[in-house]
Amino acid sequence: MPIRNTNARWGAVAQTFHWVIVALVITQFVLANEYNHLPLGLAKLAVIAKHKSVGLTIFALTVLRLIWRLMNPTPLLPDTLKPYERVLARVTHFGLYALLLVMPITGWIMSSARSFPVSWFGLLQLPDLVKPNRALYDAMHTTHDVLAGTLAAFAALHVFAALKHHFYLKDDTLRRMLPFTRTR
Amino acid sequence: MAENSRTALRAASFAMLMSAAFAVFAAATPPVHYTLDPTRSLLRFTFMQAGASNTGRFNKFTADVLFSNDNLAASKIDVTVDINSLDTGDMERDDTLRSPDLFDVKKYPQARFVATRFTSTGAGRYDALGKLTIRNVTKDLKLPITFQTKTEQGQNIGYLTGRVTIRRLDFGVGQGEWKATDQVPDDVQVSFSLRLAPKT
Repeated sequence: MPIRNTNARWGAVAQTFHWVIVALVITQFVLANEYNHLPLGLAKLAVIAKHKSVGLTIFALTVLRLIWRLMNPTPLLPDTLKPYERVLARVTHFGLYALLLVMPITGWIMSSARSFPVSWFGLLQLPDLVKPNRALYDAMHTTHDVLAGTLAAFAALHVFAALKHHFYLKDDTLRRMLPFTRTR
Repeated sequence: MAENSRTALRAASFAMLMSAAFAVFAAATPPVHYTLDPTRSLLRFTFMQAGASNTGRFNKFTADVLFSNDNLAASKIDVTVDINSLDTGDMERDDTLRSPDLFDVKKYPQARFVATRFTSTGAGRYDALGKLTIRNVTKDLKLPITFQTKTEQGQNIGYLTGRVTIRRLDFGVGQGEWKATDQVPDDVQVSFSLRLAPKT
């Protein structure tokens, strides 16, 4: 598998970014579900700290991923797509990237607004973005939740499309984002 | 020869006696009695929580200070803190801090620091040796401080600052699950900057 992208498939670096971020986003949903069921206490603090650290990691990886994308050819969408499907694919991809960047920032504002600073695995502490402000926290919390729902919906659409291409249309769309596969 | 040295000794003893007498006389000047200017004083605490440094403050506390650079023997610092006035910027966390497992404010509404012994450690710097009481647990504490005076509108104003690291578990601030130190370590840094006006 080549390191860089070609017009036909994603290279090793782009694939690594993709699948690592998939794993981290799933981790985020698991952690969020975990601490939503915990009372304020040490266990909750620990889980939220992990959620913040993973969120920061996703943000940083997404920035690097987009830079890499700009430095590489982007595999072309299949010719078989109808015009509306091309638009839908572009919107979904753009939406996913945007959410991977915006969600961590809304989380960071939430933390600052409640005066619970963000640290990356205890190694690096970020400055607070805003002063303590309960109303702003509540607004950001709602936003974060709505964005999480939107991310889940976009991801579901993305997975559905990938599976449709693989099993129904039987083209290379999914295969070209998988390691150890050959594209036709 | 022996006579000379005896005279010299006598002269030296006299000089020493005089300077000692002078020192006693100087020390006899009573230190200034100060009281806190709460609007321009800060008492803060900094603690780690889940890998991030957090800062809170006590909004209500009083200080009764007798201090004079040249009369440390008669100097005294007595600070009483209203624990209920703690403020970390988050109501939920503040309530947790007030709960029985941490400060238990219902039972122990006040913390107090009283220092009556001071040693000079440099120009305007001292170690205040005293006793800190939190949750009814009293421990000896050596608190490094600075003390400066300024004349403001004809008044002799004192500025007292300091910073010290204490261990919360020494005072039982952390019962039950809060005894664990992996998310909230034992060390808490306390810092203060007090503006003191002469007591009238």
